[in-house]
Amino acid sequence: MSDAVTPDLTCDLLVLGGGPGGYSAAFRAADLGLKVVLVERHATLGGVCLNVGCIPSKALLHVAAVIEEAQQGDAFGISFAAPQIDLDKLRAYKSKVVGKLTQGLAGMAKARKVQVVQGVGQFVDGQHLAVETSEGRKLIGFTQAIIAAGSRAVKLPFIPDDPRIVDSTGALELRSIPKHLLVIGGGIIGLEMATVYSALGARISVVEMLDGLMPGVDRDLVKVFEKKNLRRFDKVMLKTRVTAVEALKDGVKVTFAGEQAPDKPQKYDMVLVAVGRTPNGKLLDADKTGVNVDERGFIAVDAQMRTNVPHIFAIGDIVGQPMLAHKAVHEAHVAAEVAAGQKSFFDARVIPSVAYTSPEVAWVGLTEEQCKAQGIAVDKGLFPWAASGRAIANGVEDGFTKLLFEQKSGRIIGGAIVGVNAGDMIGEIALAIEMGADAIDIGKTIHPHPTLGETIGLAAEAAHGSCTDLPAQRKR
Amino acid sequence: MAQIVEVKVPDIGDFKNIPVIEVMVKSGDIVKAEDSLLTLESDKAAMEVPAPVGGIVREVKVNVGDKVSEGVLILLLETEEKTVSPPPPQGESQGKETAQSVPAEPRPQIVEPAAAPLPAHTPSLAEVITELEGILPHASPSIRRFARELGVDVAKVSGSGPKGRILQEDIQAYVKSALSALPTSAQAAATGGALNLPPWPKIDFTKFGPIESVPLGRIKKLSGGYLARNWVMIPHVTQFDEADIGALETFRVALNKEQEKAGDGIKLTMLAFLIKASVAALQKFPEFNASLDNENLILKRYFHIGFAADTPDGLVVPVIRDADRKGLLDIAREMAELSKKARDGKLAATEMQGGCFSISSLGGIGGTAFTPIINAPEVAILGVSKSAMKPHWDGQQFVPHLMLPLSLSYDHRVIDGAAAARFTTYLGQLLGDMRRTLL
Repeated sequence: MSDAVTPDLTCDLLVLGGGPGGYSAAFRAADLGLKVVLVERHATLGGVCLNVGCIPSKALLHVAAVIEEAQQGDAFGISFAAPQIDLDKLRAYKSKVVGKLTQGLAGMAKARKVQVVQGVGQFVDGQHLAVETSEGRKLIGFTQAIIAAGSRAVKLPFIPDDPRIVDSTGALELRSIPKHLLVIGGGIIGLEMATVYSALGARISVVEMLDGLMPGVDRDLVKVFEKKNLRRFDKVMLKTRVTAVEALKDGVKVTFAGEQAPDKPQKYDMVLVAVGRTPNGKLLDADKTGVNVDERGFIAVDAQMRTNVPHIFAIGDIVGQPMLAHKAVHEAHVAAEVAAGQKSFFDARVIPSVAYTSPEVAWVGLTEEQCKAQGIAVDKGLFPWAASGRAIANGVEDGFTKLLFEQKSGRIIGGAIVGVNAGDMIGEIALAIEMGADAIDIGKTIHPHPTLGETIGLAAEAAHGSCTDLPAQRKR
Repeated sequence: MAQIVEVKVPDIGDFKNIPVIEVMVKSGDIVKAEDSLLTLESDKAAMEVPAPVGGIVREVKVNVGDKVSEGVLILLLETEEKTVSPPPPQGESQGKETAQSVPAEPRPQIVEPAAAPLPAHTPSLAEVITELEGILPHASPSIRRFARELGVDVAKVSGSGPKGRILQEDIQAYVKSALSALPTSAQAAATGGALNLPPWPKIDFTKFGPIESVPLGRIKKLSGGYLARNWVMIPHVTQFDEADIGALETFRVALNKEQEKAGDGIKLTMLAFLIKASVAALQKFPEFNASLDNENLILKRYFHIGFAADTPDGLVVPVIRDADRKGLLDIAREMAELSKKARDGKLAATEMQGGCFSISSLGGIGGTAFTPIINAPEVAILGVSKSAMKPHWDGQQFVPHLMLPLSLSYDHRVIDGAAAARFTTYLGQLLGDMRRTLL
């Protein structure tokens, strides 16, 4: 032991990081009878997701949806005056949402007797973690540990420090509404924030290095998104990079290079950098425990979430893509159960992804492009929402639901939805994949009418050739 | 920290200059520990050299056709692994040192491996995720969890539910059959029953007198484990009998004289006749040409007969394939070739595979009877001792008859005593008058 001092605190299981992965691991382990200490650097639990990520962004996206729906009322004869936006009140609403959830977590931690220590933790050796708390340094001794220290937004080195240049956390603070916002990075986070700021009145430009927005999704879904969102965008610059950013008095001057780069540098009132997230693996002194951390800061684990050091586990963003809260929570339960002596494994076949844009884009399992690349023959069932009574009634008939069935076994291996509430419906497709359902299983499951969820059953019927809500298909 | 590990030819016995017949990796390949790197055609069989640790192949130093010996550099492996001494989860604080550059034991392919133990390897998360891309076993998350608890690989379980879905009962049935397939080890250990053996005695023989320690030969080392398994796991019974081979021996000697005149040099041995007679007996008693597979008996419609061949390095069992479709001369010729190959250590692994029934003849040396050990998964083996003139009472007087002692060991799980007695009796009749093989 490199530290002769007696620890201030000892536990069976130390969890480093209080995000969705960390608190889920801590709570599950406590429920299984372990004495757990949870170390979190911020004052509240919930991590990026609850405090500066998923949840506050959803609060703002909800507000954006309300504004835009009201605007569309004209089409059915209901007109509202232009919205009055009280930013202070909006921020307060967002904070209330976050506060409700974080308080709930604090209460649940207490009820489970999980001791929360606030401060930045760093490993001292394979059995000790030092935490810089407001009351000074505390040494915590542990028998086993779970690293759930998450990730942070990637910073571009050439971008100056300026209050008008923000990452997703800064954008969620909603300090002001710019006239013209540049979003660097055409992925999910950038497009969600673009949706919020656009609804609040900003003009948006997007610059993306790759050849399309939302990389990793089938292009047919992105096309629907683009069609509905073109009105928001001044410019979408694909295959284009930002080469220089200069903070001037009257705006942020940005220079571009690439296929769709404008001739001259452009000026923006605000710039959002959303080029990805990087794991926090290198900030923990993990090498003192013998845990291997790779070049980029990721920690490799096996299917039981164990690192190369058998009594130390890692979960969530820090173990790799996709960096999603729902993945972290499932990994957390596996790690906690294994730490408590159970034979648990991370055995999930698929992890769904959702872009909470307007319309939403959600997908799970293999995409059509992946099937093509891997030479997997599939039967596709596609149900356009233009044939859905509910979608027409709601004025959202631009979406569609698509299911992919592996030809040999007939089993579903992927699915995607673009349209309102796609994220709320994708779970059914994930369940079908986990259960090994085929088109008849899904099609013969009676879905309520008229709903958007019904389109999943109808897409399965379309794959099977028995759908009567579409023009007649070839017989099967 | 990346480091370069030199992978060398491991201890392969006393053999030198063994040709490389296959190189399975090239520069840039990523290998896991225990992945096969190359195949060596040793004197006795082909064997694969596994990677001692995982890593990226940097440079392959051997080519197909090269001749290598122990210690020759095969390739350079770049490993990411840092050896750490992880503090153990509970109290005991001595980390084990992990050596990095030790070559692993070669994996011989001579004999079929015993039932594989449940996999100890825990796949990495990346492996699990890339695994998603194929067609997966039809098992729901709750069934996958149940299987994990019991250590069952769902990919090996066949489903009995609708559309082949794997049900909880299927996992249970799989575990039950796996347990019953290992009656003497798993079950017995669980109940504390059989084979609760005291440890092997450790004796310092030098206390009693001068000694010399000679390492076991490669074949002995290999076959020892299989012999012990077969002896322990198969309930052996040995049936003894004698066959009157006077007429056959006269015929054999006469034939050999003809052969000599013909000048093609093939000598008929008694063993060649025994193979021919055994095939006829196996045809009449098919349960002797069988293997046990859990609750099924596999009856074989082919007749591959193994014969034990003594070599300077130990016992090997080359196999005459399709002995039912070969004439005596062909069998004799093939036996001579295989025996020579065995003595020269040039027998290929395939030439020792696929046997249905084995014959072990000590007739050329001596003895009156012995109890051979069955060569699993076969269910019977015929031992043959030295023939001798014996007095035979013909009703009026003793007449000399040339008698050949037969010792048939059989697997009593498959073969009843009466069947064994009928088998040896019939075999004796065949050897007494080979014309019966025509029947």
